Amino acid sequence: MDPPTVADPGAAPTDPSAPTILDGWPGGPLGFRQRSIRYHRPRAPVCGRGDCTGCLVRVNGVPNVRACQYRPGPNDRIETENAWPSPRFDLGRIFDLLFPRGIDTTRGLLRPSAARPVYQWVVRRLAGYGRFPTPSAPTPPAPARRFEAEVGIVGAGPAGRAVAARLALEPGGTTVILDRTDSGRGPAGTTRLFRSTAVFLPPPVAGRERPFTLWAVGPGGEGLRIEARQVVVATGGYDASLLFGNGDRPGVLTADGALAFAAGTDRPPFAEAVVVGGGPRAAEILDRFGDRVGAVVAPTSIDPEVVDRAAQHGIPLYPRTLLLRARGFGRVTGVDLAARGSGPSFHRRADAVIVALRRLPNAQLFFQAGARLLWHPRPGAYFPRLTEGGESSVPGLWGVGGVAGDPPGDPVAQGIRVAEAILGHRPTGEPRPLPRWEPPELEGYVAELAARRPPRGKWVACPCEDVLLSEVEEAVRRGYHGIEAVKRYTGLGTGLCQGRYCLPDALLWLAALEHRPIPEIGYITQRPPVVPTPLGTWAGLPDGEEAAP
Amino acid sequence: MTGLFTAYRLARAGAGRIVVLDRGSYLSNGASGRNGGGVRQQWETPETIRLAREAVAAYRRFGSEFGVNPWFRQSGYLFLADSPAEVERLQAVHRTVTREGLPSRWLTPAGVARLVPGLWTAGLLGGSYLESDGTLYPFPVVWGLFEAVRELGVEVCLGTEVYRISGRDDRRLSVDGGYGRLDADIVVNAAGGWSSEVARRAGIDLPTRPVRHEICATEPLKPFVDPMVVRASDGLYFSQTMRGELVGGLSMPHAEGFGAGMTTSAGFLARYARAILGLYPALRELRILRAWSGYYDESPDGLPILGADPALPGFVHAAGLGGHGFMLAPAIGRLVAAAALGEATPELAPFAPGRFAGPTARPGSREQLSLG
Repeated sequence: MDPPTVADPGAAPTDPSAPTILDGWPGGPLGFRQRSIRYHRPRAPVCGRGDCTGCLVRVNGVPNVRACQYRPGPNDRIETENAWPSPRFDLGRIFDLLFPRGIDTTRGLLRPSAARPVYQWVVRRLAGYGRFPTPSAPTPPAPARRFEAEVGIVGAGPAGRAVAARLALEPGGTTVILDRTDSGRGPAGTTRLFRSTAVFLPPPVAGRERPFTLWAVGPGGEGLRIEARQVVVATGGYDASLLFGNGDRPGVLTADGALAFAAGTDRPPFAEAVVVGGGPRAAEILDRFGDRVGAVVAPTSIDPEVVDRAAQHGIPLYPRTLLLRARGFGRVTGVDLAARGSGPSFHRRADAVIVALRRLPNAQLFFQAGARLLWHPRPGAYFPRLTEGGESSVPGLWGVGGVAGDPPGDPVAQGIRVAEAILGHRPTGEPRPLPRWEPPELEGYVAELAARRPPRGKWVACPCEDVLLSEVEEAVRRGYHGIEAVKRYTGLGTGLCQGRYCLPDALLWLAALEHRPIPEIGYITQRPPVVPTPLGTWAGLPDGEEAAP
Repeated sequence: MTGLFTAYRLARAGAGRIVVLDRGSYLSNGASGRNGGGVRQQWETPETIRLAREAVAAYRRFGSEFGVNPWFRQSGYLFLADSPAEVERLQAVHRTVTREGLPSRWLTPAGVARLVPGLWTAGLLGGSYLESDGTLYPFPVVWGLFEAVRELGVEVCLGTEVYRISGRDDRRLSVDGGYGRLDADIVVNAAGGWSSEVARRAGIDLPTRPVRHEICATEPLKPFVDPMVVRASDGLYFSQTMRGELVGGLSMPHAEGFGAGMTTSAGFLARYARAILGLYPALRELRILRAWSGYYDESPDGLPILGADPALPGFVHAAGLGGHGFMLAPAIGRLVAAAALGEATPELAPFAPGRFAGPTARPGSREQLSLG
């Protein structure tokens, strides 16, 4: 049995026993390199969830495979993408170095007009990620598997499992629960679909016995069609990133990423990390990696729970501090900080920056289904408007746990409450106030940062599409206001992560640049699918009914 | 786009105060920001081919004229035929286009395979190809025009509905809308999918109808297909953008009207995926990144409805563009502006608004290549 081969010059084969390609990568997950789409800046994995563009590889001739999600098989051929001759030394980076302020693709590259075909040739080849897949003959797509249920539950975390368990106690009901991981847990008496990702939930069709059709991708890439009377969204949250100078450098990652890349190893891929954040998530990171954290930086104050943990490990704290810039030509070697107010900037050594600042809801399914969402200034995100019982503005669509803004602490009680409301044992109640937990308030932080950001280093506002903050500023200056116009002007939010990592910060920045409250900045239409979904999966779906006249 | 191009031409001609009203809350909210960016000159009718030639020339100049880069890439449009009937139809197009003086080429399946390496050509019978057709990014065109008309003093009012348009005794028109009341000598209806509704608010029965069309984009790959590829039989079309996304759609039997909003259907994604994989079996793992929809403004005979309304003086139509507004807008903007200024526009005769009604009604030529 041959180990998988890695076509990265000078690299040893990835470890065949590792759970993912990244875990077995020579030099560890943060030793992996990818190149960005426009400037070919060096990138490493960030999110650990398969959402960012930091870990794309070609596996057996298939491009754009997320290395952090893929389990390598014995004879897999794994190649890096979007770099020549190699991701560590890539000639495309010359454009990053030659154009420190970026290239204006909206107004530039027009002259001389005779050179336009040359510009087009070069730009097309810098862009894209992977090459065309190895050609193959047509094969019939795997038909979508069909399920019928009283209740479909998306997410088998503690809250989703509690809903399923409580529903399973009633006779006669049918529940389907799905989760993108393979934890394999879930109550008996329930149809459990693991390694399955919900991708599309159109608005319910009134008058049908089961108004909801939830589309998902199964473990083999096959489509799943779950027809349900009611749907419970328990998709939890994810760790947002934070915009700062050269904030796309390898070694800058989210708390999700830090936990994922350290899973199953006693040697996390960093030794002297700067943790950004002063709330519960930062405390969690200190619990896990306390002896490998060099400093805690927070945009606002730092909670006592974080102070206590930092004191145990002798970690210095920097509350109310601006994160100005990452240092390092490749992997991050340190950060420039400055106390808010008028503090001078200073340097702090670091081999990683872990952003553990705020958890945002995975609320895309609510958006797709047409449910009402409300802006919540703390932590700065749109949450579904839910009743006391957990029902959204779309009857039969429920939310529970992190996606609902429920405080962490007792997800089981929240799940039981929602299940009993679904069963009609308790009234669904009136719309309830927005969640009350209070991570740092960021609008003032961003306004201050906007006023004193250093001119050096690129501020990459949208890493997937390599959109610079200066392009966002230019759009606003020219009169393109609001996130919908700025998205179209700059391309921000149109990349592989579907805007998960750039939009939360972009809303804050636009509010600062346009001097308007965030609700006036608007929000983009979250277009299906929730995560990029293979053509082969869609091809197995039925033609579907026509739009109602 | 049609409205902004018309406003631009009017402003350049010194037509006085010009106001552009748009119901969208942001620029490019309608079909101008929702199309696939194709610009082609292969059509069934010579009238349309002439408009399209002018449009291609205008888009070639656009960067220099407006200072924004639309990334107009002339890599051609390839129409594929997969049945004898389609061969006959497309060869007729090929002959018409050639008669108009454009170097259209008829390709054998082997020729198609050479032009588009990797395409699965089993079942293909041939194709029609014109290299000077191309694709562009719609958005920069909208920005360039928006900025140009504003510099010329045109007022652009977004998020502004029109509720009623009424004729007055002095032969001027009153426009009541979100803006308040505007009195105008000329009102141009370039409302795209909403054209029949706007006409209705002026008391005019315009035989256009909005039809939803769905479209999607995949994750970016390195360039592998240069031309826009269209299959006439099912309306499949796709092209690869400058940043590598495969953008395309196909014809769906959607109901008329705005009932479905701007939504996407799983049925569309299923059909599109099967159609693409039939031509590119290797793309099974390529992921769809996002899908959206917009509205075609379809006329009964597939030709635009352009020019002064025969019944309501001062009301000028720029409607029924059937999903090709972006392709033709530079030419249509020029002609509609000329019509609005009362100049003679013999080129507009085939597109006259009166052609569907009254004793002068004529069958006329039909344009059915309403794809891509």
